[in-house]
Amino acid sequence: MEKRKITSKVLIPVCSALIAVVFITMGYFKYGFWHSAKGPLPGFFPVIIGTILLLVSVLSFISSFKEEGTSYPWENWYPALGAVAVMLATLVIGMLPSLAIFVVVWLKWYEKYSWKTTLIVFAIIMGIVLGAFVFWLGVPFPKGFIYEMIAY
Amino acid sequence: MENLTMLLGGFSVVLTMQNILVTLLGAVLGLIVGAMPGIGSLAGVALLLPLTYKFNPTTAIIMLGSLYYANMYGGAFSAILLNIPGDSPAVMTALDGYPMATKRNRPGQALFTSNMSSFIGGLIGMFILTFTGPALANLGLKFGPAEMTALLLVAMTSIGWLVGENPIKGVLLTLVGILIASMGMDTLTGSPRFDFGNMYLLGGIPFTPFVIGTVGFSQVLKLMGERNKKVEANLSQKLTIRGSMLTLHDIKRLLPPAIRSGFLGTFVGVLPGAGATTGSFMGYAMQKAFKSEEELGSGAIEGIAACEAANNAAAAGSFAPLLALGIPGSGTGAVLLGGLMMWGLNPGPLLFTNQPEFCWGLIASLFLANLLTLVIALGIIPFLIKILTVPIKILIPCITVICIVGSYSTSNSMYGVLVMFFSGLFGYILDKNGYSTAPMLLAFVLAPLLESNMRKSFISSHGSLDIFFRKPISAFLILVLFAIILTPVIKFVIRKVRSSTKSV
Repeated sequence: MEKRKITSKVLIPVCSALIAVVFITMGYFKYGFWHSAKGPLPGFFPVIIGTILLLVSVLSFISSFKEEGTSYPWENWYPALGAVAVMLATLVIGMLPSLAIFVVVWLKWYEKYSWKTTLIVFAIIMGIVLGAFVFWLGVPFPKGFIYEMIAY
Repeated sequence: MENLTMLLGGFSVVLTMQNILVTLLGAVLGLIVGAMPGIGSLAGVALLLPLTYKFNPTTAIIMLGSLYYANMYGGAFSAILLNIPGDSPAVMTALDGYPMATKRNRPGQALFTSNMSSFIGGLIGMFILTFTGPALANLGLKFGPAEMTALLLVAMTSIGWLVGENPIKGVLLTLVGILIASMGMDTLTGSPRFDFGNMYLLGGIPFTPFVIGTVGFSQVLKLMGERNKKVEANLSQKLTIRGSMLTLHDIKRLLPPAIRSGFLGTFVGVLPGAGATTGSFMGYAMQKAFKSEEELGSGAIEGIAACEAANNAAAAGSFAPLLALGIPGSGTGAVLLGGLMMWGLNPGPLLFTNQPEFCWGLIASLFLANLLTLVIALGIIPFLIKILTVPIKILIPCITVICIVGSYSTSNSMYGVLVMFFSGLFGYILDKNGYSTAPMLLAFVLAPLLESNMRKSFISSHGSLDIFFRKPISAFLILVLFAIILTPVIKFVIRKVRSSTKSV
């Protein structure tokens, strides 16, 4: 007998079924489904949708075994790691310096571009960010605790 | 005929050098803001509203109209070039726009199609608005909670059922999108719901970071695998307007869906609360029922034309309830209404007779804005295509920066960045497993509207389902809904029966 492999294609309907169970349970018991005088309560709609989702998840789970598994190359996660690094560095040095360092490090050390190309791209992207978001829209980007420490 | 005379009167108000220049300025700024991911038309109109303070009331209203209208054009640019929709109606444009620009290597034609369809859809919407404005608004009023519920169910089901290869996956994500949207405040009572004790979740999942992550950041993760191979293909593009022109055959493909969606979009735009996003999704769903030369979702001209024409027609159509009843069709419409009222416009059934110069001046300015925005949008195509000639290796950090900055700017909080990040990972995993995220995004946008209308229907009927069959409009829409659900099932059964009889 052929052994069925558990892949992300199988795990997605399992996760959606779990989400459905959480919404049905909380919707029905915590927020309420129906009131004889008020009619539908806050849990009414999520319970109905959760129930349908549970049924669809079962169908999807059954059909997922017929599908081939997929791979997730390590390289594809690098931008996500970069974004995590930016978010963490934002807490320390602020968002704009973190983004500036990210662009330079990525282009110069990871993609091995020349300093000229790196600096041109850096100037353009930071020009857009500063021009549109900082000066025009006035977005107050976080400055990090080092700045806060020096400023106050 | 009387309306046409009034419209000509409106043009006599609009066609002064100052007003033309203001329309032009509104069109340029609207295009830029509309194309910027994370800002979108709502924030765009709100941000640019103070610019109108410097003008006299008529000029200010004309500028507001052109700002609003050009925003509708701009949302498609980043959707086509970067797969990051500038606003929610452009989610559907990305489905065919991005593959047409990258896989079919026709970015100029994709932008040209988007601009032309927007123009055609908008023009149809404006003509309908001109001749039937007040009557159209009254038709919109016939759509009560039951009719709106049925219409929204049709929109959601048709997209969930029709987008992607596997209908079960589409429906699954539609339902997930609805549940994600139900987090935060309850739509009717305002009580907290599914916040899991988290202060941020109390406000729900913000749409803009969610869409930037699901569509844009997931795209960055996907692009990592294609970093080296696409550069050569992109460099072969002709960076001229001539090189971006559509062929006669392309125009023949563009016109039928654009005209159909123009009429449909206007009608959807008239419905209170439905707006351009619903119009765009409905236009795309309707195109599925018609023949397309290339498969929808693979970079088909018909796909871009259908949703862009519907989107802009809906934007024009939404002016009917806005002017005649004072009911905005969307958040952007609400900001626009606030701006118009600030300048002395009092919306209501008598507006067209009491304040004709305001009213017809605004409608005339929409015509002018539509034309001027088209000219500008076509003129900047070569500059926009240059984005695609940038090597993917360079685009990856740039798009990542825009995703982070855009998602932060919507809420001025790292919460937006976190939502973008996790929805990006989620979108990437879904894409790798053959799920199209468009149904989830549609469901996310429309779920609050669906829930409030459904609950209102059940409150008024005391829980009886017959409310959906009492009036002809809702009964018809429910029949359409059943037809959409049952058609693939019946087709599947017929195929099975045929194959089993053949094997016997």
